[in-house]
Amino acid sequence: MTQPWTVKYRPVSLDEVAGNSEAKKAFLSWLKDFQSGKAGKKAALLYGPPGTGKTVTVEAAARDLNLDLVEVNASDKRTGELLEKIAGRAATQGDLFGRRRIILLDEIDGINLQEDKGAVPIILKILSEAENPIVFTANDPWNPMIRPLRESSLLIEFKRLGLRDSIPFLRRICRLEGVEADDKLLKALVEKNNGDMRGILNDLEMLSSIKRVLSHRDVEWLAPRDRKEEIFNVIRRIFYAGDYHSARRAADQADMDYEMLFEWIYENTPYQLRDPRDLANALSALAKADLYIARVKRLQLWSLIPYALDLMTAGVASSKKYTRPAFTPVKFPERLRYMSRTMRDREAVKGLCGKIGSACHISARRCPTLMIPYLKFIFRHDERAAENIRREFDLTEEEVKLLKMD
Amino acid sequence: MWVEKYRPRSLDDIRDQDEIIRRLKRFVEAKAMPHCLFAGPPGTGKTTAALCLAHDMFGERFHEAFMELNASDARGIDVIRTTVKEFARAASISGLPFKILVLDEADNMTADAQHAMRRTMERYTQTCRFILCANYSGRIIEPIQSRCAIFRFTPLADEVVANFLMEIAGREGVKIGEGGLEAIVRVAAGDMRKAINTLQAAASMDKPVDEETVYSVLGLAKPGEVEELMEKTLSGRIDEARRILRSMLWSQGVSGLDLLKQIYHHMLDMDLPSDLKVDLVDTVGEVEYRLSQGADEEIQLTALLAKLSSKGASS
Repeated sequence: MTQPWTVKYRPVSLDEVAGNSEAKKAFLSWLKDFQSGKAGKKAALLYGPPGTGKTVTVEAAARDLNLDLVEVNASDKRTGELLEKIAGRAATQGDLFGRRRIILLDEIDGINLQEDKGAVPIILKILSEAENPIVFTANDPWNPMIRPLRESSLLIEFKRLGLRDSIPFLRRICRLEGVEADDKLLKALVEKNNGDMRGILNDLEMLSSIKRVLSHRDVEWLAPRDRKEEIFNVIRRIFYAGDYHSARRAADQADMDYEMLFEWIYENTPYQLRDPRDLANALSALAKADLYIARVKRLQLWSLIPYALDLMTAGVASSKKYTRPAFTPVKFPERLRYMSRTMRDREAVKGLCGKIGSACHISARRCPTLMIPYLKFIFRHDERAAENIRREFDLTEEEVKLLKMD
Repeated sequence: MWVEKYRPRSLDDIRDQDEIIRRLKRFVEAKAMPHCLFAGPPGTGKTTAALCLAHDMFGERFHEAFMELNASDARGIDVIRTTVKEFARAASISGLPFKILVLDEADNMTADAQHAMRRTMERYTQTCRFILCANYSGRIIEPIQSRCAIFRFTPLADEVVANFLMEIAGREGVKIGEGGLEAIVRVAAGDMRKAINTLQAAASMDKPVDEETVYSVLGLAKPGEVEELMEKTLSGRIDEARRILRSMLWSQGVSGLDLLKQIYHHMLDMDLPSDLKVDLVDTVGEVEYRLSQGADEEIQLTALLAKLSSKGASS
């Protein structure tokens, strides 16, 4: 599997970090002061909303200055003891090669006071003994819990990325990925994610897996992160609705595109309705809804949409007769990923099947079952045989790649 | 691919289907033949027999007087009206008695297209002979069947498959290990294409072809088979059946319509009460109609499987 874009395009050096140039400059000069013993504070607190570049700034600066980065994350179990073991020793020593260290305590406001009793005093103790610079990051620096830390730190604010900083960065990624996206779309993504670069990249990756040429309308495919809970609730309400109207109402309140709503319901039906009889009825209702949607699209008969909606909500809700109540988590429509990721491949497979089909006297339609599986097996195991077959059918590089793919 | 490399070139080279081959050879001797319908399961030699017949009949000039069309790819009335008709009506090549047009997978033609073709067949009988290949003769319309000599191809005998595999293995320098040959013969069940493909894939693993290798071919190179799909369906695992369906439809590029037909035939073989089968057939027909109207393959097939699952379990 390839890496997610958030990893693939993680900045390596400080100039690659998008935006927040003042914050970056302040941080770098503090680090340099620290090294020459001039820094007033032993710690820096980088704060700001998620996805604004706090952590990557620390990582990139460490690399630029050749410092050994020791990182402790709040999502790790953070008992005071553990902290002391990891960060405490590191704070007073260099690494094996004598490189200076930098300690990063990420998401410091995520400390759970109940679980991590004594964490703050221990951090303060580490701080007082530290010979290496210590960096905290936090979304909310005014959290009273971390007040003592805040007071001993240099505060550096990271602001939400504006369009000026994020768009060029995104354009570069689109170019590298061979994705065509208009600025209107990129702008919409930045706005939708409130400048959270992690969120923007995730969205962009998801969209580009659906198609390579994107326009601003494609934003509709994404469920905003904060609306995820909302969708989950709508889905749950549909599956728990006792009657026609409450199911329909749940859908109306969803304020979702009906095709998207369909995908969510369809994905979750087999998990939510465990009894085979219920499931058969529900899927039959969904299949009819699908037919109505097809007619809406083909014949532009918009007036049919309500029937599709009724079938996919009330039709599914009223199918629940035998399934015993149980809590089942709501799942994301896998199918969207499936459809998208394989769309380009599907076209190429068609061409490949045409070629092999006509050489082997079978139809392109039967080729996927009669020939391709064996070809794939051979291509995976025997390079020489694969090369012969490539020449025999005059396959392009792209077609060879398809056959080598899982 | 070995399936092409070892495809017989002449009727003399064809093993099995003895009775059929004898009759076809008589056509060659007489330089005369009727329209033919070759019916039978995949991998039993229909297309090969048609190609060999044309080779033996025309010799060197095979390419001038022979045409092969695949009805699954070149479907619809338009193709019949244009391509088939053009070829059929052009005057015969000097010195050759007639031309031969092979229409593969003819049972995938719509009834309308078949009717259109029927007229062409009649009109140009003088200049062109048709050989239609089909898995199911029942899907060829009655008027065409009555104009054709019908040849029924049956699954090849295990012995024939085994001998041919040994011959290929010998020529390709493939070592056969413990139980390998038997395993291929068993899974191929009389389908020569499947047998040869399995052998070639197994041979790519750089060790003797034994039982284990053969099963890893069948396991790893899942030939998109319906068995697993049906098994999951009947054990009530629709979520898993749907996952298989997705992989077949979206990744492997299997056509939904093809899959529907396979599920249909599977269903008929199942041990279910007749009235239930009738009900299910009705659903299958409805699904095919819906697909023709642009409905989504995965959704319609999943719904069909769910119905099958609930009925199959409760009966």
